[in-house]
Amino acid sequence: MRNFILLIRRFWNIILFLILEAVSFSMISKTRNMQGMDIVSSSNAVVGYVYKKQNDVVYYFQLRRLNDSLLNENTRLRNQLVQYTGADTFRDMIAHIPVTIKDTTRRDSSGVALAPTGAVKVIRYADYRYIPARVINNSISGDRINYITINRGTADGIRKEMAVVTGNGIVGRINNVSQHLATVVSVLSDRKVSTKLNDGTSGFFTIWNPGSPEYVVTEKVPLYVKVKRGDSVFTTGYSFFPENVLIGTVTKVDTIKATNAKNLKVRLSTNFRNLQYVYVVEDKISSERKELEAKNKQN
Amino acid sequence: MSIYLRNVFRFILLVLIQVLLLNKIPLRWWSNPGGLPPYTPYIYPLFILLLPLSTPVPFLLIVSFTMGITIDAFMDTGGMHAAACVLMAFFRTNVLTLLLPKRIAEYQNMSPNTKSMGWTPFMTYAAILLALHHVFFYIIEIWSFHSIGYMLMKILISLLTSLVFVALYSLFFSSSIGTVYYDK
Repeated sequence: MRNFILLIRRFWNIILFLILEAVSFSMISKTRNMQGMDIVSSSNAVVGYVYKKQNDVVYYFQLRRLNDSLLNENTRLRNQLVQYTGADTFRDMIAHIPVTIKDTTRRDSSGVALAPTGAVKVIRYADYRYIPARVINNSISGDRINYITINRGTADGIRKEMAVVTGNGIVGRINNVSQHLATVVSVLSDRKVSTKLNDGTSGFFTIWNPGSPEYVVTEKVPLYVKVKRGDSVFTTGYSFFPENVLIGTVTKVDTIKATNAKNLKVRLSTNFRNLQYVYVVEDKISSERKELEAKNKQN
Repeated sequence: MSIYLRNVFRFILLVLIQVLLLNKIPLRWWSNPGGLPPYTPYIYPLFILLLPLSTPVPFLLIVSFTMGITIDAFMDTGGMHAAACVLMAFFRTNVLTLLLPKRIAEYQNMSPNTKSMGWTPFMTYAAILLALHHVFFYIIEIWSFHSIGYMLMKILISLLTSLVFVALYSLFFSSSIGTVYYDK
């Protein structure tokens, strides 16, 4: 026993060093494996306070740029509104679709004709609510994960796994939430985003390659899919992002012979260097959908 | 000013410089010309470099861990900075015995800095330990050896800019860091 104590006393420095390294590594692995289980994160009160105070100071100097971006977004939304006036269904709202039955009395070249019954069935599509938030800390230099801190939390209805977008592109998803703050894992991370092309072909994923905050790569697009430079790339409704949010535009098409597929280099439409305002998207039926999909996995 | 108070102030000042100024550098468009990967210079290890020579090693390790965890909380990096800091603190004594002409126990009431050591030895000392910190940190962060060149480039540019900021800090606060502590 005495020898053991002597041994510990002799190697106390190395033992303490190894203990502290082990603690650090267990914390790292926790953040890597479980999403939103960080022990230390910038959504805690003290760190959030520092970032908020700093943002209050810097905010003033960014007003001019902010004005411009809001003006651009306004214009874009107005243009969209013009397109939709006249149409009776909005994608993100309750749709009223007339119920039809097979009309056996009349036949035409295409087969059985359909006759309206007068009744209307109601289809409830995904219903989104947008919560505006201010970016109080932002990073783009990480190699695996980049985090953004925003000044909205559970008190404003923000929960884990919600999507975060800007006026003109995608940003990421909510990772850690506290009462008044939340951290976002940005698109500049090793997380995939379900993607579709301009013409509606989907089933690809977009992922970020470290090295530049401006570009992402849409991987494994089959050769028969026609893509050219300048095409837009959008999100699908399969993952947590709302459907048809612009990801960016294709700047380069790389054909990879070995896998018989194309990789598209996409320029992000979101400018991560001066991110100031974002919208957190609450999908009102996402919990119902998750429950349903979990049932499938059980069976 | 007491040695403890001085170091507490330095801790806070370095964390604030790191978090509020240096972490914002990669966000600026001029910070990576010609397709350089975005990088962050790290000045906060200077706190560990400047701790007095007579600091006992276990205390040094715990203080470094605290520093690393603080930065981790600000940068959402889990425990990567803490791991790198603890490694750096562990090898601090070895590097100092290599660089200093006399035995460490003979330097009472002093801390390693530009005045007590001179510019060249201090910058060598800073370069060795910062290199250790950066290499370890980026290996944990990137966690793959697919592109060694990319990793080396990132370590190199980050290390060089960090050293520039360490030198700048030593110039600006030369009177503060050069103090010999008699009130221990």
